[in-house]
Amino acid sequence: MPKKESKNSFEQSLTRLEKIVNLLEQGDVPLDESLKMFEEGVLLSKECMEALNKAEVKIKQLTKDLNGKLQLTDFEE
Amino acid sequence: MKEGKILTVSELTRQIKGALENGFSDVWIQGEISNFKLHTSGHLYFTLKDEQSQISAVMWRSRAGQLMFRPNDGMKVLLHGKITVYEPRGNYQIDCAQIQPLGKGELQIAFEQLKQKLLDEGLFDKESKKQLPEYPRRIGIVTSPTGAAIRDIISVLQRRFPAIEIVLVPVKVQGIGASAEIAAAIKDLNTQNLVDVMIIGRGGGSLEDLWAFNEEIVARAIFSSKIPVISAVGHEIDFSISDFAADLRAPTPSAAAELVVKDKSEVVELIRNYCYTMSSSMNNSIDSYRQTIAHLTQSYSFNKPHDMLRQRSQMIDELHRRLEQNLVHNFKLAKQQSQSLTARINSLNPRSVLKRGYAIIKQENRIISSLKNVKAAKPAAIEFYDGIADAEIIGKRK
Repeated sequence: MPKKESKNSFEQSLTRLEKIVNLLEQGDVPLDESLKMFEEGVLLSKECMEALNKAEVKIKQLTKDLNGKLQLTDFEE
Repeated sequence: MKEGKILTVSELTRQIKGALENGFSDVWIQGEISNFKLHTSGHLYFTLKDEQSQISAVMWRSRAGQLMFRPNDGMKVLLHGKITVYEPRGNYQIDCAQIQPLGKGELQIAFEQLKQKLLDEGLFDKESKKQLPEYPRRIGIVTSPTGAAIRDIISVLQRRFPAIEIVLVPVKVQGIGASAEIAAAIKDLNTQNLVDVMIIGRGGGSLEDLWAFNEEIVARAIFSSKIPVISAVGHEIDFSISDFAADLRAPTPSAAAELVVKDKSEVVELIRNYCYTMSSSMNNSIDSYRQTIAHLTQSYSFNKPHDMLRQRSQMIDELHRRLEQNLVHNFKLAKQQSQSLTARINSLNPRSVLKRGYAIIKQENRIISSLKNVKAAKPAAIEFYDGIADAEIIGKRK
């Protein structure tokens, strides 16, 4: 059964993006570094957009099998 | 009853008992509870009274266990039961089959009592409310797999933020055992630790239909959950105990789905704004570097060497000019001097003396300036300003 990630990648990316934006906005990052950050920010925003554009909600269900063991299966509406 | 017959106490009591119990075998009576006692045996004893009268009442444990609420002093109730006589003490009482609160429904009272109890225990404290994740990746849903709630939730999530996964834990949401299933589902989601947040709930129904969500077992499961819980039971007007225990109450299951994720277009907008801010900050900072550079190249110190060069060159020009001026001046001076010298030289020219009547005598091409150099009887030349006369020295005298 897949484990829950400590923090999901989308939120991580978005949080990092937000931080970069704030740092760049404050404007006291050296030019070299800010250019690198800018590049990273552009990549992150692309990643986030791609994640958002995933089309379908995935639906699973958590049920007990005959032995009372929990199992995760696909849910058919 | 025969006249004149003397009865024992027991006989009379038995007759009264018969008369009362037959005559009042099915009564509805309303009044206010006082002297309420829950005996350790589980039986309830109390007095029902109004302004003028009172009657003892009892509810046996078998019935008392089914009561949804706990009667207490001052409560106005409607009793249904029969009159019984307790022979050992000659008392009559009403044996209650049913107690219904007056004014408020039985469930309502039960609800309020449980609410108060859990409130006092701190299950609804703001401090223990967990914060919902901003961008949940997996969302647990505890509800009926066939109900309206799950369909509503799926359709809202699909529309608002499809980049998520739903983990449905199918449960019974009404009827016997529903509350235990709901509580177990909350615990299972916690032990599996699969989801970032969960929604528990169901669509609308009567108070009885929604009752599972008013049970203590569900409230406690919610309170113990490490995963944030959103409670979404029935319609907007329905409040359940689970709403109070949950970290967030949603008025309906659809609303819960709205609350649990942001709208995709808002997030897209947010990211676009980030990109815009990032670019403009970058441009600003490049502009500001440009300005700094421009500022520096125009600054006094940056231009000092250049300035010094110009000053030096100017100084050279100046010196050059002065040199030129001096040269001209000196030249003029020299010219004047040379002219006056020429004049003086001219004035010293012996020929000009000759003109005044002097002559030069030369013997053997040497000027004879003294008598002792004259050689007698030798040819001499007498130079006049305009020519030479040949002569001969005849003699000398002093």
